Amino acid sequence: MIEKLLERGGDLVERADVCVIGSGAGGSVAAAELAVAGRSVVLLEQGHYWTRADFTQREDEMLPRLFEEAGMRQTEDGAYTILQGRNIGGSTVHNLCYAFRAPDPILRLWREEHGLSELTVEALAPSFERVEKNLRVKPILEAELNALNRIIRSGAQRLGYSGWVARHNREGCIGAGYCILGCSYDAKQSMLITYVPRASAAGARIYANARAERIEAEGGRVRRVLGSVVDHDGRVRGSVEVKAKVVVLAAGAVASPDLLLRSEIANGSGQVGKNLHLHPSVMLAGFMEEPVHAYRGIPQSYYIDQFIDLEKDPHRGYILMPITGFPVLTGANLPGFGRAHFAQMAKFSRMVGLLALLHDRSAGRVASGRSLAKPRIAYALEEGDRRQLSESLVHIAKVLFAGGAKTVLAPYWHDPLELAPGDDLSVLERRGVREGEIGLASTHPQSTCRMGRDPGTSVVNAWGESHEVAGLFLADMSVFPTSLGAPPQLTTAALADRTASHIVARWPEFAG
Amino acid sequence: MNPHAPDFSRTTRRGFLRLAAASASLGALAELRALPARATSSAEPAGARFFNPTDTEILTQIAERMVDSGHSAAPRLRATGAIETIDRTCRELDPALTSLLPTVVRLVEYGPFFFDWTFRRFTQLSDQEKDASLNGWMTSRFEVRRLAFKALRNLSILGYYSQEESWPLIGYAGPLLRSPRPAP
Repeated sequence: MIEKLLERGGDLVERADVCVIGSGAGGSVAAAELAVAGRSVVLLEQGHYWTRADFTQREDEMLPRLFEEAGMRQTEDGAYTILQGRNIGGSTVHNLCYAFRAPDPILRLWREEHGLSELTVEALAPSFERVEKNLRVKPILEAELNALNRIIRSGAQRLGYSGWVARHNREGCIGAGYCILGCSYDAKQSMLITYVPRASAAGARIYANARAERIEAEGGRVRRVLGSVVDHDGRVRGSVEVKAKVVVLAAGAVASPDLLLRSEIANGSGQVGKNLHLHPSVMLAGFMEEPVHAYRGIPQSYYIDQFIDLEKDPHRGYILMPITGFPVLTGANLPGFGRAHFAQMAKFSRMVGLLALLHDRSAGRVASGRSLAKPRIAYALEEGDRRQLSESLVHIAKVLFAGGAKTVLAPYWHDPLELAPGDDLSVLERRGVREGEIGLASTHPQSTCRMGRDPGTSVVNAWGESHEVAGLFLADMSVFPTSLGAPPQLTTAALADRTASHIVARWPEFAG
Repeated sequence: MNPHAPDFSRTTRRGFLRLAAASASLGALAELRALPARATSSAEPAGARFFNPTDTEILTQIAERMVDSGHSAAPRLRATGAIETIDRTCRELDPALTSLLPTVVRLVEYGPFFFDWTFRRFTQLSDQEKDASLNGWMTSRFEVRRLAFKALRNLSILGYYSQEESWPLIGYAGPLLRSPRPAP
């Protein structure tokens, strides 16, 4: 049962074994596996229940529907745009379907530096296998590479850079290219069409428009979740109360710590909201001689891993990934206004984008704002990370030129830099990456309720359970002890699968 | 004369300062994200607009400069549904995100008076002067002014480049689905 509370009207009063908060890559997996195991499950999602029929491929309609703050959520200083989902299925409805397992050296790092000895490759393998099967993960075929990805691959190969065609979670993809605005064809195997229906079929009661606002504990155990029925524009239409023996919080690395801070629980370590990693990304635009319509076809199917070697150093490195957008998203990322801005927009059909996604050590924080709709997010690059992103600009430009770009634009807000083949690219490293001077973005906020063995320095243990509140689990990217260094969809889902198995195995403890 | 053209002819510099102070000060703008907004009540009637007619006119003139292409074939912003799209987007967002937007629009209107010591409002400037005024917001050393500029710029881009009329100009072929446009 998936119910839109706005249409039903009234308040929601429920009782269940487990209340799951959030329906993205973590929450939907936890809800499904717990329901399949026979637990009664209530899933609360603050966003709306949109389906393929609502995915119109138009930015003015889909950005407000699918994204927090219509896709323009930012850090407090405005330097980073943070894309996060706000709908049944969460960010998996708008993501671009890269399907990576957690890198082995990162799991080793988590074991060695955070005491998470349980997180071995072997221990996680069954969870990854289940998730990959349910999401129909498979390699992208050669014929499925679009013009953009072929150009980037061609550039990388000419330079001798290491790069790969990725795996993805699509089935019957027709290559329309509108993945980021929701798949109108149900080809993207997002949580919306995989785990959410699986949870529903197993008896989970799934409620859209239900915003959790407080988690209450009593005697060191979770007791209930309180919240509101909300319009898409945040107006309160009713109240929500769910009594449960177990609460699985999976609202994402921004909303989850915000909710814990507002609830004043599980923060004896003082770490809730801290250690925010963003996988910050910076992009350059290349312009080809002829139109390539980079927005058609699978947007991201190839990646370059020449500049990340986690075996050698698990703390640093960056991946280069093709990127494209539609007119509004593209326009928002180009500098200036008026005629200077249009001069770049006029070349839209010839534009190819390449971004660097940084495996960051820099740590920001999330704090509660005046409203749940408006958490306070702060983040600043450490010097080492800044140097890596600055260096990445040179390599991005090299790949774009090697792929055939006639010009490359570095979109510095106030003084954009346009380069031609043969220009001295070291100017990019000299100008570098500074907040507020060039567009920076994140689609992977993480680590704000990190896992660890030590209750003094972490929020949850290796199973995602709070060190302090019995029956409170976290199952989203907020639990990553460090930056993951790879697109996080599969790892989030696999850890949630593992957490659900653990809850099932220990159920008699919670039931008592 | 445009019936919705702002009429602030009796506003003095002191009046503007009062407006700025009363609007919770520039410091409050630090709360801005890319999209500012409005305060609405749940009793708002269906079809109500986010911006009042005066603010709509100011916003229209700001947006016209933000997406000016200088291209003779470019559709005029007023001839598209751009402003209606911006208004609808603001109506659909949480008021906590958008309540300062009308204030921002007014501050831009009085910006020349306040920041450039010009005794004219934004809507009284020539196109060139408007661009210079907006450039002042974009390059200001004050973060809150830059954030306000970015919010208005991104709204303008959302409004204009989501209109089908603007797509041929940039070579965008448009969605594969041909769904009807929502009613304004």
